[in-house]
Amino acid sequence: MKDLKHLIYFENLLLEANNELVQRAQADGKICVAYTCENTPEPLLNLEGAFSARLRAPRTGSLDISTYYMTSFLCEYSRALLERAIEGGYNFADCIITPDGCSMMNRCIENMELLKTMGQGKDKFFFEYMEIPMKADDNGLNLYVLQCRNHILTPLHEKYGIDISDAAIRKAVAEHNEICELIRAIGDYRKEANPRITGYEFNVITLATYVAPKYLIKDKLKETLEELKTRESDEHSKFRARVLVVGSEVDDTDFVKLIEESGAFVCADRFCYGSLPGRNPIVLNDDEDALTQICRAYMNKGECPRFMNTDKMDHRRIYVDELAKEYKADGIIYEQMKFCDPWAYEKMMGSHILNEKYGYPVLTVDRPYSIGSSGQMQTRVQAFVESIEIKNIQRGKANG
Amino acid sequence: MTTFLHILKTIVIVIAALFALTFTVYIFNLDMKLTAAIEPWLLKHYDKIDRDQHL
Amino acid sequence: MAKQVGADRLGDFYKEGSKVRKRREWRGLADTMYDYSRWLKIMMTLGKFVMKPRNVKAMFRYRWMANYLAVPMMVDRHTQGLRGEYLRICHEEQDLVIDDVAKLLDSLFRGDRRIGNDKKFSDKVVLVDENEMTAVMMGFPTLKCLSRETPSTYVSVLLNQYAACHYIDVAQEFGLAGDVCPMPEAEAGVSIDDDAPVLGACAIQCNTTCDGSLLGNGVISQRLEHEDGIPVFQLAAPLRHREDDVQEYAAQEIRNAIAFIEKHTGVKWDWDAYFECAKRVNYATECRQEWLEMNRTPYPQVFGSNLALYTETNYMAICGRVAAFEKADRKITKLARQAYAKKKMAAKEYRHRAIIWGVQSHYYMDFLVWLLNCWGIVPLTDMLSMVSTRKLVTEDTPKNREQAIYDMAWLTENMIMRNRTHGGYKVLLDELWEFVEMFNADMVILWEHMSCKALDGMHGLFEEKAREKGIHLVWVTHDLFDPRIISRQGVRDQINSYMRTVFNEEPIDPSLEVLPDDKSW
Repeated sequence: MKDLKHLIYFENLLLEANNELVQRAQADGKICVAYTCENTPEPLLNLEGAFSARLRAPRTGSLDISTYYMTSFLCEYSRALLERAIEGGYNFADCIITPDGCSMMNRCIENMELLKTMGQGKDKFFFEYMEIPMKADDNGLNLYVLQCRNHILTPLHEKYGIDISDAAIRKAVAEHNEICELIRAIGDYRKEANPRITGYEFNVITLATYVAPKYLIKDKLKETLEELKTRESDEHSKFRARVLVVGSEVDDTDFVKLIEESGAFVCADRFCYGSLPGRNPIVLNDDEDALTQICRAYMNKGECPRFMNTDKMDHRRIYVDELAKEYKADGIIYEQMKFCDPWAYEKMMGSHILNEKYGYPVLTVDRPYSIGSSGQMQTRVQAFVESIEIKNIQRGKANG
Repeated sequence: MTTFLHILKTIVIVIAALFALTFTVYIFNLDMKLTAAIEPWLLKHYDKIDRDQHL
Repeated sequence: MAKQVGADRLGDFYKEGSKVRKRREWRGLADTMYDYSRWLKIMMTLGKFVMKPRNVKAMFRYRWMANYLAVPMMVDRHTQGLRGEYLRICHEEQDLVIDDVAKLLDSLFRGDRRIGNDKKFSDKVVLVDENEMTAVMMGFPTLKCLSRETPSTYVSVLLNQYAACHYIDVAQEFGLAGDVCPMPEAEAGVSIDDDAPVLGACAIQCNTTCDGSLLGNGVISQRLEHEDGIPVFQLAAPLRHREDDVQEYAAQEIRNAIAFIEKHTGVKWDWDAYFECAKRVNYATECRQEWLEMNRTPYPQVFGSNLALYTETNYMAICGRVAAFEKADRKITKLARQAYAKKKMAAKEYRHRAIIWGVQSHYYMDFLVWLLNCWGIVPLTDMLSMVSTRKLVTEDTPKNREQAIYDMAWLTENMIMRNRTHGGYKVLLDELWEFVEMFNADMVILWEHMSCKALDGMHGLFEEKAREKGIHLVWVTHDLFDPRIISRQGVRDQINSYMRTVFNEEPIDPSLEVLPDDKSW
């Protein structure tokens, strides 16, 4: 396939947390709201005068200092973020807002605060911790709304004078939805039998929307969508199977690249920092305030394993089945960042249930924060692809 | 009176014997030594039980 | 063989390769007879238990029941070297816990569909987690609040250090990562291994101490709800429990949990019973505070693993619902006052005053007795005992009924361990140093439960703060339920090397420095 015109541009945005567009937005006078967890409602961080940047630690090297502070038993994502913060890599942020999504991220941010790693020279810098619901119900919704008001809207308004009115929130949702719809439209091409976009390309583009100010990336997304309309896929696909990747935080595009280089097309991305359900548009009505509707949307769409009620737990597996059908996956890869407790359990549950109850071939893998070019991982994915092929051949024989 | 003393003596002897027996078990930890010997047998029994292992 | 405290070489009771010890201690005539009489009582409790055929049947059905063969030895481990009031305090606590667990087992097997299958009884049972505050059951005196995980994993590991290994292996064979906390991992293993009694009208699970515990419940509820047809309510207590803006949410969770129980059992909430329990909770709090107050002086009386275990049982699992614990509180306080008046000591020498922090090793709960006997380190208090001291309302008025909901929510948020592992660094890191000062401690023994992410995540800052304050901080790494990762001797060695190299001290009882207890229960 012909290279996507802006792919290198998007890739470059992923090389630094303080990327070119973050710098440009700050030069425009906007404040950068850093965050780390998918349960932080993004539109509320993108009100007029502010923009969100989800923290990553690209090109992570040694984790020695953060390992001293948090031991080697915490997930590498949390350690990589702390390491980068200690190195001064997040000094560009004007505040950080974080829910107690998981213990490890909570400790990571607390270490950042206690070690005074952020906000140097920024008088108005603040850390905000918020409680978010663990169940999707009315009580959880009330909590979510209150917490967003107390820990996102009020501090943004009081410290930085951000307009937090209902109208301002609706405007931010509209912009958010525009990005979501573009990503969805781009991602829909993955449903094709011989797709005109690779999983890697899509992963790069999606990730860029989390780490760059949305208003500055929108045009490039539109152009990419236009380009895709006429892009032709290779006559013979190099992929031998279609896989749905499910699991914990992935902000390392090398992971999807490695899977695809091993012969499996990543047709859908149900992981933290992915587009499903991360890039679901938020549909607002005029009858209820926007904040409540956003919180409800986040609560209902959330597929994070920290949601503990039975309906939510069951839905996590139902949703994977739905996606596998919609995106025509031949198999499912459950991935878990090493030492991630929530996904350690969900990976075990999901992999068994999706295999035993729904009949999908499932591969489960542990991975570090930065995968690089792991031969071990490649071998596992290749073996999985072969097993899918064998199953397909056998199924073909059985069907005559 | 003789019968009463006889009964009393018997009771005292029984109590003393019981005390001697249980105290010997107690001080030499014989109760635990016995149960420690039983445990391997029980574990083998558990291994033989068919279990419906699943999530 | 002596009456005096510290006269025995306690290490000589151990035998290489043996599960049990050579013999019991001679503590002088009075104390030995007392200990013997309590042993007889325990034997009678166990005897009564095995008299029921259903309990014998359960013994042959559930693997974890084999651990109950070691009950008397657990008591022996905790009474090592104790004399006088200390011995009596320990027995008051331990024997009551044993009695309570025996009743719990008997109830579980009575309702268990596989064993007693008493349907009528089972319909009055509400299942709760092992590590869950039972405040929400205070107003249901006619219902049975039972935890399956308490006897199958929690108590089992106190009895036999290897008790959870089989279940940990089962969970890992099913693909669970080996780095998660072994406690919920073992509980999940019990469920996967089809080794949990099946009973109950409904279950109340809770997001207790950590992410692992939360997710482990998901494994258990899968089978409970989808296979056994037992409805489950997940009680989501807020994590940032010290914040005002989460309390209404917490209270509503309690209201919802009560409504759920009422719906599935047909039993109405009883305010009289609640306020009765609340009075007992307050009394237990008063007693605990008095004990802790004594521990701030040079003559601590109720401390160590006994304090931790008893508080865990009384504060969390009992939560005012069992009158016998109030009686025990009274007796223990009386004994402690007596000993305090006589300036008694539990060991022949007190060298260091330590706060025990972090999540203690479950397979070596009697480590605190060892600290005292071997090195003269007095474990003044521990993280698990530093729980809520807030007084509950006890008078039945409309206003108090509303407040009571908030009280239950507060207790649930502040259940043992959870009140420190959740809630931000203030409750875990900052308050430790306040306690160090309050108790005039010169040492912190910091249990580093290696798979506890909430604790591990503060590792560096604990060290930095200790250096800043000039406090000796000794890390004791362990893996909670799995002695195959770090053995009991591995735990002891971490103290031994610190005491020898940093303090340059010799042990008070050298026979305890290295113990052949690798194969021991």
